[in-house]
Amino acid sequence: MMKEHPPHAKTIEVRQSPGKSFLFALPMMLLTLMMMSGGKIPADPQRLFVFTVTYLFFNLLFFLMIHTGKTDRYRATAFITYAILFIVSFISHMFEARGSMSLSQEKILLCEVPFCHLVIPMTLIPAAFTKTIIFPGTITGGYASIASMFTIWIGASLSLGRGWCSWGCFFGGLDDAFSRILKKPVFRNINPRWTYLPWAVLLAVVLSAAAFLSPTYCTWLCPFKTVTEFEAVTSFKILVQTILFASLFIALVIVLPLLTKRRTQCSLFCPFGAMQGLTNRINAFDVRIDPDRCINCKRCVTACPTLSVTEESVRAGCPLISCMKCGTCMDVCPSGAVAFHVRGTPVAGNRNIKRMLFLYAAFLFLAIFSGGTIQDGLSRIIRLITTGSMI
Amino acid sequence: MKGFFLGLSSGAVCAAYCAPVLVPYLLGEGRSVLQNFLALLQFLLGRLLGYLSFAVFAWGIHTSLPQDIAHRNLLIGAAYVFLSGLLIFYSFFKAGRACPSAGGQEIDHRLRNSRPSLFLLSMGLATGLNFCPPFLLAVATAAEQASLLQSVLFFLTFFLGTSVFLIPAPFLGLLRGFSPLHVIGKMAAGLIGAYYLFIGATMLAGGFYR
Ligand code: SF4
Ligand code: SF4
Repeated sequence: MMKEHPPHAKTIEVRQSPGKSFLFALPMMLLTLMMMSGGKIPADPQRLFVFTVTYLFFNLLFFLMIHTGKTDRYRATAFITYAILFIVSFISHMFEARGSMSLSQEKILLCEVPFCHLVIPMTLIPAAFTKTIIFPGTITGGYASIASMFTIWIGASLSLGRGWCSWGCFFGGLDDAFSRILKKPVFRNINPRWTYLPWAVLLAVVLSAAAFLSPTYCTWLCPFKTVTEFEAVTSFKILVQTILFASLFIALVIVLPLLTKRRTQCSLFCPFGAMQGLTNRINAFDVRIDPDRCINCKRCVTACPTLSVTEESVRAGCPLISCMKCGTCMDVCPSGAVAFHVRGTPVAGNRNIKRMLFLYAAFLFLAIFSGGTIQDGLSRIIRLITTGSMI
Repeated sequence: MKGFFLGLSSGAVCAAYCAPVLVPYLLGEGRSVLQNFLALLQFLLGRLLGYLSFAVFAWGIHTSLPQDIAHRNLLIGAAYVFLSGLLIFYSFFKAGRACPSAGGQEIDHRLRNSRPSLFLLSMGLATGLNFCPPFLLAVATAAEQASLLQSVLFFLTFFLGTSVFLIPAPFLGLLRGFSPLHVIGKMAAGLIGAYYLFIGATMLAGGFYR
């Protein structure tokens, strides 16, 4: 039997008046101003313009999140913008530094490859046994050093767990974007067994990386190389690798998200994402489903872009370990049964405070982590419009 | 004793080379710790056979084959292709559980039920012929031995030294209650199989793989 609840009960509950929303958003405005400016407002007019646009963009989105009670819509706007401008900024950097997106053997030997979080699972075992990082990047200094990425990752894991994949990852916004284009999915049913695939990829790349002391996922599989950097094709092996990762990009980041309305790369393939799921167990926030409010309409099951809500998990009162804390399920829930939750507190307690605590942690992380990249990306686009070149 | 200590000192590397084959298999089977020990013994027996056949070979040629790059690539390539065939077979024909999009359980049932240990023996044999760096060192040392018996003994002790590092593997059986791991193990076997297939095929084709 479905219980009856007023439509949009949850939204009504967490929605705030404009005045209250402004008050709730005020600390965010101050914090982002402090963190994004580093205490110094840019003097150069173009940089000031870019800074102001970025600052207003984030704070408007945060205000709307509080005012409307909706999370995912505004999160996704910021997250997708970040992914797109990250690519603009990264590619411009690569052209500036090396004149192309392709990596020469020389750069690899000189250990000048930017380090990204997707490599982390493969580095752990070799680092423990051989005291070396099996990646040709710089430990400190330079563009995207290994130490800085590890520090950010540890901080994000402790505060957000796998929320990283919806609020922090500079690639996640791509399949997120493509999964939103169609109104309805062409393919509805995905065999839940496929959700084990990221774990299998994780196991395979961790074991093969330990055996061959090489980051096998980066070399062979990472689809995002298509839009960032890749090895110059100088052999048959590199040609095969290039065909493989480009095909995976087209399939997992563009076509399948479009057809299924799910984040297929992130939920069905990414080994880092699988590992990050484990950190969902050690951070303060999770998502809970209140059985007293749930009317069993299964909208969350259908809407979750990561297949993290199943009928069993609804009955159990919490999504699977793969939950990315994106907020979609709570936005579609008609009875306000799904909500962000702080571990150790009762599920039925004040949901608005818990939501606000999570949003402050997650949104602040997103704004600070992505602020510089978004500004750089915007500057590059302005430069392209005014001078015809992004570099 | 030289072989044993060489095996012991480089056993971690050997374990790292064996793990991509052994770990997905043990997880995929989801057996108890005791059954895993038996499986490990079968695998090790296969590996021992690989080592001993090399002992005879290394002594027989008295030169070290690994230095002849063309032949070495041919041999390692063949071992990789064989190993990949086994891994893909394991992953694909157990597809009823591993791959959501494939069938073929009947062939699997017949093959695996008629010769259950042959599979592990073959996997062990193929990994035994895998030229991991310590193994290359052992081949070079064995080639210098005066008699066949010495060469065999050297490999036997080398094998014992390296095997110590595989003892923890059966304890994966402690996780068997977690049923998704059975599917994950098989999927991972397929992925690693595909990787080995490429390495092996390019080695056989010669020169492409660097
Ligand atoms: S699953 Fe992987 S690609 Fe997707 S958001 Fe997480 S880390 Fe990024
Ligand atoms: S369970 Fe909800 S918050 Fe978690 S990934 Fe799915 S839709 Fe997003």
